[in-house]
Amino acid sequence: MMLGASAIRVGAQDRATGKTRFGFDQGREGDLFLVCVRAAKGPARIKSMDYAPALAVPGVVRVFTAGDIPGQNRLGIIPVSKDQEFLAQGLVRHYGQAVALVAAESREAALAGARAVRVELEDLPGVFDPAEALAAGAPLVHADRAEGNLLKENRIIKGDAEAALARSAVLVEAEYAIGRVEHAALEMEGGRAYYQDGRVIVKACTQNPHYDQGDLALFLGVEPDRVRVVQAETGGGFGGKLDVSVQPYLALAAWHLKRPVRMAYTREETFLATAKRHPFRMRYVSGADEEGRLTAVKAELLSDTGAFASYGLAVCMRAAVHATGPYLVPNVAVNCRMAYTNNTWNGAMRGFGVPQVALAHEGQMDALAAALGMDPLELRLKNALRADQATATGQVLKSGVGLTQCLERLRPIYEAWRHGLSHGGWHRQGVGLGCMYYGIGNTGVSNPSTAQMEWLPDGRVVLYTGVAELGQGSDTVLRQLAAQRLGLEPEEIDLCRGDTDRTTNAGASSASRQTYISGNAVLNAADNLEELLLTGARELLGARHLDLDLRGRLILEKGGQGRTLEVKEVARFLASEGREIKAGGRFDPNFTALDPATGQGRPYAAYAFAAQCALVEVDTASGLVKVKEVAAAHDVGRAINRRAVMGQICGGVMMGVGMALMEEYQQGSTDNLQNYHIPTAADAPRVTPLIVEEPEETGPYGAKGVGEPALIPTAPAVAGAVSQALGRPMRRLPLNLERVMEAITTAEDQQP
Amino acid sequence: MELIFKLNGEEVRLSQVPGEESLLTLLRERLGLTGTKEGCGVGECGACSVLLDGKVVNSCLTAAWQAAGREVTTIEGLAGDEDLHPVQRAFVEAGAVQCGFCTPGMILAAKSLLDQNPDPDEEVIKNALAGNLCRCTGYHDIIRAVRRAGKLLRGETS
Ligand code: FES
Ligand code: FES
Repeated sequence: MMLGASAIRVGAQDRATGKTRFGFDQGREGDLFLVCVRAAKGPARIKSMDYAPALAVPGVVRVFTAGDIPGQNRLGIIPVSKDQEFLAQGLVRHYGQAVALVAAESREAALAGARAVRVELEDLPGVFDPAEALAAGAPLVHADRAEGNLLKENRIIKGDAEAALARSAVLVEAEYAIGRVEHAALEMEGGRAYYQDGRVIVKACTQNPHYDQGDLALFLGVEPDRVRVVQAETGGGFGGKLDVSVQPYLALAAWHLKRPVRMAYTREETFLATAKRHPFRMRYVSGADEEGRLTAVKAELLSDTGAFASYGLAVCMRAAVHATGPYLVPNVAVNCRMAYTNNTWNGAMRGFGVPQVALAHEGQMDALAAALGMDPLELRLKNALRADQATATGQVLKSGVGLTQCLERLRPIYEAWRHGLSHGGWHRQGVGLGCMYYGIGNTGVSNPSTAQMEWLPDGRVVLYTGVAELGQGSDTVLRQLAAQRLGLEPEEIDLCRGDTDRTTNAGASSASRQTYISGNAVLNAADNLEELLLTGARELLGARHLDLDLRGRLILEKGGQGRTLEVKEVARFLASEGREIKAGGRFDPNFTALDPATGQGRPYAAYAFAAQCALVEVDTASGLVKVKEVAAAHDVGRAINRRAVMGQICGGVMMGVGMALMEEYQQGSTDNLQNYHIPTAADAPRVTPLIVEEPEETGPYGAKGVGEPALIPTAPAVAGAVSQALGRPMRRLPLNLERVMEAITTAEDQQP
Repeated sequence: MELIFKLNGEEVRLSQVPGEESLLTLLRERLGLTGTKEGCGVGECGACSVLLDGKVVNSCLTAAWQAAGREVTTIEGLAGDEDLHPVQRAFVEAGAVQCGFCTPGMILAAKSLLDQNPDPDEEVIKNALAGNLCRCTGYHDIIRAVRRAGKLLRGETS
């Protein structure tokens, strides 16, 4: 199998036949069932809690409260902002927070027990808007924080934006807003845990088993080796399974009861008790010269982390870093603030703040194009980052800058759509563009991955990886990379994945980092395995300086004419000496931390680029927007598995369409898929994926990543297209019926 | 209540099935057939789709007793004695399986469609699958898979 071809996904057949057991499907006969008791208001003080009535329910085994947590009841992915209480400790910080946990012999008994717990809550003054949260005198969400409700403020300062704006030929100023979005992975959170030989074993859906292990150990107050986490097959994540969810409850109950336990969230619980995409309000001022070259961008961003920090620090920083988009902007002044409120918390979701700022930076490009009388594609092309130019953080990119190629690939489609627009009756069509860049991996911090490869004496080859597979295809890609390096077929490599006892830390399946970072770690492990085999071969041949080459299952002397050996002979030799044929690999991208005052630095080693255009039709009688077509050009460096790249693109586009047109989480009113709508097949536009391969020097065979980039340009492109169709800019998402109708009616009112 | 029905070709007899139990709970909890998924419990996502006398239904909204005397096919039984039913094969080969959580329901909905309409066009497929949500694929490869399955079933390709 050639790298870059379309490989069939590992595990696809088991999924198609119903054999795969996801986290949600875990559980066996006799397991106890766990259900949380959730606060019906928040913020509030717990005046009293009486769980005796729950214990009287037949089948209820035990009720846990915060006092039963042996370790630290403050968890969170970012070490400096662990603040999430898994069982409320006197104070309920948001509506729906868990206050107790019921364990019972059946789901019915657990639910009945949860209903029987009497919790008396006293309302406390709360704050639900980030601007209000930062105003003087606002109620504090975490009274112990010296910074009050401000979680974080990030600045990116380059040049002198004020002076450059004052000198600019054109200026555009506008506000943008985007609400909270739910991941709505089809699988709801679930898993199982049991106690064995002084350890707790947790098998649940997750995007990061090694992080889970560390936090569960903190929660139980034990060393990490007392906790084993195994990633259950995971039915989609999109960032929603990066925070721990059911895992602490499972671990706590198994630890105390020494019995197997299972837990599965309902869809309502998934809405209420997992993170959402951060809402953003954004005010931008952008300037350009007469020719349309950007002179400066100034941006003020405000977001809400909700009651807990989760990934807030990362989202705040990443939004700031990407705020000016994939363009050469000589003068930059970005300020991004994120505040605590008493809303349910927000966290990582596909793109970490970049989809939000992309709405604004692309809206600004459209506004500038209009002000300059230029074509929006030409304006973007003129300003697109190129190799050897500096980003907003002053990072000069040497290779892998493929935005101009993406735009050129789009151009014929874009022009054909622009010329073919039809307006008839109530229907108006429009075409919009969205561009983006996305730094691969975590921002300005070390984020290594590790892997091992082993050649077993019976000839099987095993790849050990901690990388969580969520459906994005990492199993398949990592195996392809390993096979390519060793000269084997992917099917010849067995995978051992996502088990903290058997694999080592690969970091999160997030930030589009696994192909690039873990891909490199796997190649490094394969190289080290090869070295081990070649050294063994030299010893076996008694020739220490022989120049050898590994080709699949053969070892050849370089230059051709010399000796040939089978790997199996070497393996037998090494085994006879009691030596393991297992080698490790590691990769950590090159970065520099951002300057705390100016945000300047090299936060990522590689960036993905993309441009998409959307063709929409608006029914001006009903406000209904139909996205008819999307063309999506993505510079992925190198497509390792073409089919998977295209699948990611089509899936990302569809999620972007949902974010653009229909998705907004409203606490209390959108609590299931009945009233929170995600796109169905009937909403699916025709998607044309265009793969651009501008090799990234440091990537595995030139690859970067595509998971998040696939989504980021879609909403801006759709918003731009609707704006064109309606003849007025649409800067708040989602563009639902009400919002579109309001725009149509106010536009009509303004007609002379 | 005693309940007798045919499940994946074999007769099943169960006693003491509560009247309000859903077919989904019966399949997953009582019979351990976890290939039928749950994604909402309220008839919105189609992850729980099964075939009842060959027609696709949401098992979360179907009371278990409604299966009495009828034939239920779940994903585990679709292929019969084969490894894969042609619809399953088409899904695997077309890259229509990403996380795979929607896949069992999607495949059964597609099978039900193709039984009624062996050669549906894109619009028909989109509308027929509109009750089955997928968050990963954007439906693109699922639609391709259904067309491919149609071809396989009509014997137009191997
Ligand atoms: S679980 Fe039945 S339709 Fe969602
Ligand atoms: S493949 Fe994940 S929901 Fe469809």
